Amino acid sequence: MHITERPVPNGVVLDINGDLTYANRERFKTAVSALQQRGCRHMLLNMAEVRFVDSSGLGMLALVSQNFKLNDARVSIVKPQSYVREIMGLANLPKLIPIYDSEQDALSGRAHAA
Amino acid sequence: MTPDFSPPPAAPQTVLLVDDEPVARLSMSARLKRLGYRVLEAGDGKTGLALLRQERPDLTIVDWMMPEIDGPSLCELVRRDPLLQSSQILLMTGHDQPQQIAEGLARGADDFLSKSASKQEITARVQAGMRAASLVRSLERARDDIQHKQELLERELQSAADYVRSLLPPQGAILPGATVVHAFRPSLGLGGDLFNIVEWGDAAMGLYLLDASGHGVSSALRSASLSTFLRRDSLRHQVGSNDPGAILTEANRCFPMTEDGGYFTIVFTRLDARTRTVTYASAGHGGALLQRADGHILALSQPALPLGFCPDTRYESRVEPLAAGDRLLLFSDGLYEAPGPTKELWGLERLRAAVQRLRPLELERIPEALLDEALEWLGHDLFPDDVAIVAVEVKG
Repeated sequence: MHITERPVPNGVVLDINGDLTYANRERFKTAVSALQQRGCRHMLLNMAEVRFVDSSGLGMLALVSQNFKLNDARVSIVKPQSYVREIMGLANLPKLIPIYDSEQDALSGRAHAA
Repeated sequence: MTPDFSPPPAAPQTVLLVDDEPVARLSMSARLKRLGYRVLEAGDGKTGLALLRQERPDLTIVDWMMPEIDGPSLCELVRRDPLLQSSQILLMTGHDQPQQIAEGLARGADDFLSKSASKQEITARVQAGMRAASLVRSLERARDDIQHKQELLERELQSAADYVRSLLPPQGAILPGATVVHAFRPSLGLGGDLFNIVEWGDAAMGLYLLDASGHGVSSALRSASLSTFLRRDSLRHQVGSNDPGAILTEANRCFPMTEDGGYFTIVFTRLDARTRTVTYASAGHGGALLQRADGHILALSQPALPLGFCPDTRYESRVEPLAAGDRLLLFSDGLYEAPGPTKELWGLERLRAAVQRLRPLELERIPEALLDEALEWLGHDLFPDDVAIVAVEVKG
């Protein structure tokens, strides 16, 4: 898994490339906590290049959403692939983290059916 | 762990000297002894090899020119032998031509020693060889140590897997109005799957399948702890109801997400022989199907947060009527997320198709037959995650 950071107006995008799984949890945690420590107010997880999220991956997303909420910060998921969207839907994750079809929608917070 | 590169302090280091010329051997042996080494001597390559195997010297000095097995051939034999291949060898020759040196090194020598070398040079090269030998030895010790610890860890995981297995219900259990069969394949790293039956008297039974996120002993412990919560007496005290939705709502309150993001997915069903219904609630668990006697399949899942995601979640029960011959199938995601050779997952659709195809089989054969289908997709026999399958058939 490869994660790159990209600042956008009023937020930071993490472009995630690879699977969000138990094996990759440390890399994901490191990237997220680096953003958190710098006081990021809105983190956008670009998941266009994520093929698979396992149960640990879902747990990390839930945890990240809880942590950001505690600090009055936001997390958005952008452009998940269909299988990943299905897994997240089954776990009702959109209830915790809104899912958007574009970074623009996520940044404007435009309500969108996930 | 930091490998220990320092030589063991105790016994003097050993040099094996292989040379067919007695005078040269004697003179080199005397020099080495003066330097404080223990010296073993061999007059030919064959004896040299035997001593190498028997004594495992720290350094071996071999003459190039010898009858039968010459120096370079001896080097080659040593490099091909798994037990000896890490030996340090100094090749000794009278003609130190660059071409000859290159050949000797290519055939397995670690360094060269000219017969005309000064006392200082011999000392320096032998010491350099000894340094390399200690380094190799300590790496070998570190490797053996890691292997040993790996074996211990695997044994721990195996005994945790055995413990999880001991918690499972008996195979082919006959319950009010239903027969239960199952299959459980813990992965090498142990994945935290667990399922069980809750017996509620004559007419009803609970049946659940849960999966703790993550891997290893900690997942297995968390699963065991949730399964203790789900025992009949505990449910009576802590929930006071046998409604699946109420049970999951309370379990969610009692098992918040761990600091590492650990949580559970679970499907909890209650089969009622009197009302001929299945009542179920699911927390982020995708693997639950109801197959009617005519083959028609219904997914028993609803979008719901896994246990631990959000403390005030309320889980709702849903009810489906049951008839004789209906089958309830519960699985963990390790089954339908089995990755094929191209990493494509087996997926719920293919799993449903397999359930459809296997309908004519007797219930007892269903779990293993589903495992076989997933294994065929996987292309080998080691699932990366735990796989659990529970199948129930409603009797007439």
